[in-house]
Amino acid sequence: MTGMILRRLLWALPVALGVVSITFFTARLFGGDPTELYAPPEATDELRAAIRERLGLADPLWLQYLRYLGAVARLDFGTSFSTNQAVATDLTERLPATLELGLTGLLAGAGIGIVLGVLAAVARERVPDFLVRGLTLAGMALPQFWIGLVLIWIFFVTLGWFPGPVGRLPIEVTPPRPITGFMLVDLALLGDWATWRLAAWHLALPATTLAVATMAPIARVTRASMVEALQSDYVRTAVAMGFGRRALWFRLALRNALLPVVTLIGVLAGNVLGGAVLLESVFGWPGLGQYALQAIEGSDFAALQGFTVYAALLYVVTFLAVDLLYTLIDPRMRGA
Amino acid sequence: MSPPLLEIEGLSGGFRASDGTLTPVLHDVSFAVPAGAITALVGETGSGKSLTALCVLGIQPPAFRRSAGRILFAGRDLAAGPEAMRGIRGRRISIVFQDARAAMNPVFTVGRQLADVHRLHHGGSARAAMRRAVEALRAVSIPEPERRARGYPHEFSGGMAQRAMIALAVLVCEPELVILDEPTTGLDVTIQAAIMELIAALVEERGLTALLITHDLGVVAANCADVVVMRAGRVVEAAGTEAIFTHPREAYTRALLEASRLGEAAEAVVA
Amino acid sequence: MSASMRIGLAILMAYLLVALVSLVWTPHDPLSPGVGDSFLPPGGEFPLGTDRIGSDVLSRLMAGTRYNLGIALAAVAVALVVGSVLGVLAGYYGGATDVVVSRSVEVFQAFPGVLFAMLVVKAVGPGVLNIVLVLAFIGIPDYARLARAEVRSRRAWPYAEAARMVGNRSWQVAFRHLLPNSMGPLLAFTSINAAFASLVTASLGFLGLGLGPNTPEWGNMIARGQDGVMTGEWWVSFFPGLAILGMTGAFYLLGDALSDLADPRRR
Repeated sequence: MTGMILRRLLWALPVALGVVSITFFTARLFGGDPTELYAPPEATDELRAAIRERLGLADPLWLQYLRYLGAVARLDFGTSFSTNQAVATDLTERLPATLELGLTGLLAGAGIGIVLGVLAAVARERVPDFLVRGLTLAGMALPQFWIGLVLIWIFFVTLGWFPGPVGRLPIEVTPPRPITGFMLVDLALLGDWATWRLAAWHLALPATTLAVATMAPIARVTRASMVEALQSDYVRTAVAMGFGRRALWFRLALRNALLPVVTLIGVLAGNVLGGAVLLESVFGWPGLGQYALQAIEGSDFAALQGFTVYAALLYVVTFLAVDLLYTLIDPRMRGA
Repeated sequence: MSPPLLEIEGLSGGFRASDGTLTPVLHDVSFAVPAGAITALVGETGSGKSLTALCVLGIQPPAFRRSAGRILFAGRDLAAGPEAMRGIRGRRISIVFQDARAAMNPVFTVGRQLADVHRLHHGGSARAAMRRAVEALRAVSIPEPERRARGYPHEFSGGMAQRAMIALAVLVCEPELVILDEPTTGLDVTIQAAIMELIAALVEERGLTALLITHDLGVVAANCADVVVMRAGRVVEAAGTEAIFTHPREAYTRALLEASRLGEAAEAVVA
Repeated sequence: MSASMRIGLAILMAYLLVALVSLVWTPHDPLSPGVGDSFLPPGGEFPLGTDRIGSDVLSRLMAGTRYNLGIALAAVAVALVVGSVLGVLAGYYGGATDVVVSRSVEVFQAFPGVLFAMLVVKAVGPGVLNIVLVLAFIGIPDYARLARAEVRSRRAWPYAEAARMVGNRSWQVAFRHLLPNSMGPLLAFTSINAAFASLVTASLGFLGLGLGPNTPEWGNMIARGQDGVMTGEWWVSFFPGLAILGMTGAFYLLGDALSDLADPRRR
């Protein structure tokens, strides 16, 4: 078991290295000269040279690369041009907002998706199946940001049931001092239920958007995998032994059917950061996504680099975690 | 002659394609399975023997449509409707499949699977059911049954998995009729013999009735009282084992026997 | 041909038709502002309404087909060719080639698609060609993995042996004999990849990356209509979304149908 964990880690390291390297070289090759960003327009050549020296850009490329690797290993992603803070600090400040939205949406989407998938599999080729398949096709074929806008239009602009895209709390409310950074957790810990309700209310639409988007592929995979499980030999044995439909579906077949779904949820989780950019833009959510967007618009390369490396590393870690989780739940994987 | 426990009467049907056409595969299949003995259902691949057996328990492939016939078990027509099946599966009739490892759920331990079936039919606590499961595994000569009960199907060898399936179908279910669908095909020859010995012993001890589906005439000669020969979805001949081996009436039966060179061996045994 | 495949193909043909027609005619000039008043609701002369600067939504939608459909198809074609070649090389020759190609592919897969696209497009600059190349780049890993798996499983088959014995050189066996037989799953994946490419294109357009600000690309149109949604002028963002739904959905349908065909088990 430990041998397998070590093997997986061994795989992860070169991949992580590759990611960091590619980001570095892409930014260097195409990113233009960062000196221009720091130097005032009337700077003399000496000033520019001095800036370049201080930024470490005067050294040969390979030296800069090694220095960057060292920095990343210490989780030092440089300083953001726009916020003037360490990029690492920026990222840590904004991570909880994205995570709170991501986890809520993903969990809701997974729950609903699995239920729909089972329903479609059990009612195969009948009305519920067609409905689910149609719905999920739409869910996958629509961009998340559009779904978000439509939800805003229906539930805020037209019906007024939910707040507009202003962020995690209404503009006039002061956010609580962060403990975990998760608004719902922190407010609960502080016992501030009035604000808690506001935070939940603001989380509703963006989380629903994410849930709608993730529910679609999860329902599809659950359906396919459930259909396969229901046609399997071991389900036939269970029928022969006298088990009723409900026991079959929810205990015997589902356990098997969920295995590929777990992998999918892992992939979706790893991609949360990617989708966050669009979602946070639509809802004005102050998370990593918005940070990345601002970095793009402001040509803040240190921040962009840091964000990309962060995102990719997160992806690698999630992938590892899912892999390990899979080994735990599927007995066939344990021996290997 | 003991009265037949199971009687198949005129069973006919076929497979329905996606465009609705029916390809007939069973044609007026009729035979009787007397109580307290092993009846063999023999034939080549595609003869319809497995399909017929699956129909008895109502677990035939969904594409199969019965067009006629009755399946009489202790006075009830099992093919009449879902109500007729009540209390039958796993209680009065059980089945042993060919590929035992595939027939078991890969994510539950073997002991748990046996225990679950026990609780389904006899109730009781999980612990008691697990004890019963271990006893059943012991009774079919699986070594270290407590450890094995905590193991998963993919950890069992072919022969051991088959023993576990037999433990499940015979000892946990305690049926009146057990169907065995090619239980030894695919196993090593020595293991085949051991499995058949086990089955024969259990049938004898418990006064069970068994329907053994096989294409191995050697197994039939050694263990079965009656034989039903099928070919291309039809019953060709049905008689006592001795009669079939010494005086086969149909040309096909003769051909089968010759192909397995057992006719001569049978004569030697009988003489 | 199954119903899904027919519907998918029909829809894509329709989009292709619109794209071609838009080259010679649209109801109004898609790029001109002020052909109508700002934010006219759908109806009459402007069946889908006008946007903030008075451009006709329908005309822009039609012209946008050239971008969204064209980019998706081009990107997928490039990814298919390059990815398959890489995958065949890795699968057939094994050894060092395999290790190098496979590891590189894994590294690129660690970059979440949209993110990577954003970074590269920002770095290399705007333009249709750049977007096509970036999207192709994102798609290559999956094609390479698929092609590699297919070729590996067939490498030892009798007909490959026969081709070798008759005197074909390695690369001939790999590309002329093994690859054509592995095309099934690759083609099935192509359609799904196209769906993904179309969504990423729209995402890049929404963020304002990659194409000029007035380009009638659908994602871009949705972004431009964002403020409108807040004040009740829903149509500017709504219709481009439907256009994306139709095209992406058709790609998915087609992909599903092709997968079923390629799958030996044929559910």
